[in-house]
Amino acid sequence: MNAFLVAATVLLATLAPLLVLASLRRPIDGLVALETAGAVTTLVLLCLSVGLGESIFFTVALIAVVASWIGGFVYVRFLGRWT
Amino acid sequence: MHASDLAVDVLLGLGVAAELLCVAGVVVMRTTLDRLHYAGAATTVPAVLVLVAVLVRVHLSAGGLQAIATVGLLFLINPALVIATARAARRIDEPEET
Repeated sequence: MNAFLVAATVLLATLAPLLVLASLRRPIDGLVALETAGAVTTLVLLCLSVGLGESIFFTVALIAVVASWIGGFVYVRFLGRWT
Repeated sequence: MHASDLAVDVLLGLGVAAELLCVAGVVVMRTTLDRLHYAGAATTVPAVLVLVAVLVRVHLSAGGLQAIATVGLLFLINPALVIATARAARRIDEPEET
């Protein structure tokens, strides 16, 4: 197990408190947790790409950045209108 | 242990520690805007530290260039999302009187 896989594992563990926050707090606070989780997930995918030696996984991280950004904007628009 | 291995370990350690600090800030802070402050920080310093660690390992290969694009996008476009979220939070906390 190399340093990148250890880093990916530790970063994955940080998603747990964000999930708890998103479940227990207001929807807008949950959205902030979701945005943070998107950034953490991107870094996890980068670390996994290097750790596993699969260069194709870098593309997954690149797509994850754009997808989480667009998803965040969709939630912001709906939260802003409905509350 | 080569110098590059040591550099990767140090950079990854710093990056993960900074990311842990940002996540702790998001979880612990009381107001939405305080949480957003840490959420925005999570896409700056920790991401760049991890990127540098990746580049030390894979250099400027195709994967390295994609990693630069990934962190560059994360760094450049995320502030727009943070601003939009802050505006929505303000609209929720202080609704306009009609």
